[in-house]
Amino acid sequence: MTATETAAQPVRRLEWQLAQVREIVVETYRVRSLMLHVPDWQGHLPGQHTDIRLTAADGYQAQRSYSIASPPEDELLSLTVERVDNGEVSSYLVEELRAGDQFELRGPIGGYFVWTVAMDGPLCLIAGGSGVVPLMAMLRHRERRNGHAPTLLLYSSRSPEDVIYRAELDAMARRDPNLRVVNTLTRKQPDGWMGRRGRIDKALLAEECFPPEQGPKIFVCGSTPFVEDVSGFLVELGYDPLTIKTERFGPSGG
Amino acid sequence: MNLVGLKKIANGCAGSRHSRSRRVLRHHRERFELEAESTADNRRDYRSMGTQKIFARRQVHKQKADTMDGTTISRGFRSRRQEQTPKNRLPPGQYVTTDFPVLSAGPTPQIKLGDWTFALQLGGSLLGKWNWAEFEALPQTTIKRDIHCVTKWSKLDTTWQGVTFDDLLKAVGLMEPPAPYIMAHCDGGYTTNVPVADLIGGKGMITTRYEGLPIPPAHGGPARLLVPHLYFWKSAKWVRRVRFMEKDQPGFWESFGYHNYGNPWKEQRYDGD
Amino acid sequence: MTDNVSDLVLEGNAAAALVQELFACDITIAQTQCDACGSVEGVGSLRQYAAPMGAVLRCTSCDSVLMRAVHTPHARWLEMKGARYLRF
Repeated sequence: MTATETAAQPVRRLEWQLAQVREIVVETYRVRSLMLHVPDWQGHLPGQHTDIRLTAADGYQAQRSYSIASPPEDELLSLTVERVDNGEVSSYLVEELRAGDQFELRGPIGGYFVWTVAMDGPLCLIAGGSGVVPLMAMLRHRERRNGHAPTLLLYSSRSPEDVIYRAELDAMARRDPNLRVVNTLTRKQPDGWMGRRGRIDKALLAEECFPPEQGPKIFVCGSTPFVEDVSGFLVELGYDPLTIKTERFGPSGG
Repeated sequence: MNLVGLKKIANGCAGSRHSRSRRVLRHHRERFELEAESTADNRRDYRSMGTQKIFARRQVHKQKADTMDGTTISRGFRSRRQEQTPKNRLPPGQYVTTDFPVLSAGPTPQIKLGDWTFALQLGGSLLGKWNWAEFEALPQTTIKRDIHCVTKWSKLDTTWQGVTFDDLLKAVGLMEPPAPYIMAHCDGGYTTNVPVADLIGGKGMITTRYEGLPIPPAHGGPARLLVPHLYFWKSAKWVRRVRFMEKDQPGFWESFGYHNYGNPWKEQRYDGD
Repeated sequence: MTDNVSDLVLEGNAAAALVQELFACDITIAQTQCDACGSVEGVGSLRQYAAPMGAVLRCTSCDSVLMRAVHTPHARWLEMKGARYLRF
């Protein structure tokens, strides 16, 4: 990936800032969006993430990274967090954290995995599970700015209950003829489900994505195996690896 | 997909066409409203910010005192150390998982069994080399052990089948190990060092089956070193060569922050422990 | 000081965080050159492995290790012998 393809940004020093929780939105049974007021926030680009740091009363600290779900146009910064089994920080953020609480936050980080309406061409967003979060920031930004680029979100979830932003994505797609949202459910489908089933494979990508000749910008986000599988398929289908940007959410389980 | 029926709360911002407001009015929101009712001084405050209406709560929790260096304390956050029984099976600082997480220092090598070989070396000379069929023909042993990852998960009663070090030495005609240490060399370049004393007497093997099935590539197949009484980074995936050494030398992680020996019962995770 | 090598499953974009926490500026937009094959790319595009034990960042062209980072209770380690430079 060459530097010319990243959004121009100043090289800034990262400092820890205070984030105040204004609201917590329940997205699914284990996913919450934290709406944060960060007084000194300098702005960000869709796709970037933040580091957060929690400090217990005994001084114990834990630090994690979370993608920013809100577009730069929004007043509050939003992080969408999935509770992970045995996850020390995510369990706290999803089960314990309340409006009025605060924690430390640093960012924005990640000038590489970024898309803005200034970038031309069709946009292909491929999400596995909570990998949809940074891609949602891109879609929200695109909508705020009335972007017209033909856009596809290909979103793989385990079951209907696991689809994050479900209503919002449906509404976005209904409002915008240039946006297509394709859900695939890998483990459980509702009765009468006529949509896609099973994991994202080469055939599904070939059917749904803009063809390589159209030069789509491609963003893939999810677990490491998901990202590696999908990127591999895309390269086999003839997409230029330089047009595929990936973000991994860590190793797999099982 | 059909929209989930959105319940409007009476004092919501009807008429706002912004999806953000509608999303907030989700059926689960009642839980947080109830919480708010029980907290003194709470008020709900509707503020219009440009074209966007958001619901905001007044900050009602006074944050606990900051630490001496000014770091903010996160209310209610504490370190998670699970209390697991049986205690005598779990080394300190570990907790039990039923998952089998994958951790690799590089891409999963795709190895064809027809190309696979395993070698024992001493210095530059070859003590023995087997292809897959020859290796499968060596005496097979099945063991059930607990395994402990330095990232704090432990998995109990895992079953492995393969060739013990004792049988490898016998196969190359050695009664005694020719040197006190080994370095394991793997596809992809990973290395790890182990004292031979921790491999003989049934303590270590080259394993090819996990739970009765061929080891999946992501978990180190076709063959990995198995030294379950040490932290699992020592059970090197995709092992191809074991080289005997007169002097101990650190491998990939041992030379970069991790403990040279790695005994979970003494919590020897890092260099300096 | 953080002690976050403990979690079983990563939460969020943690692999690069082990490298990022040593730099004052956003490392993902820095350019780097692979010492093995000479290819130049953004640090953000490198293939990341080994979290949560550490970060191992590899060249997308030849898979060589450009950088490693480990954060232990005793020290933070950074090795960059596989990278010829970092350019911010």
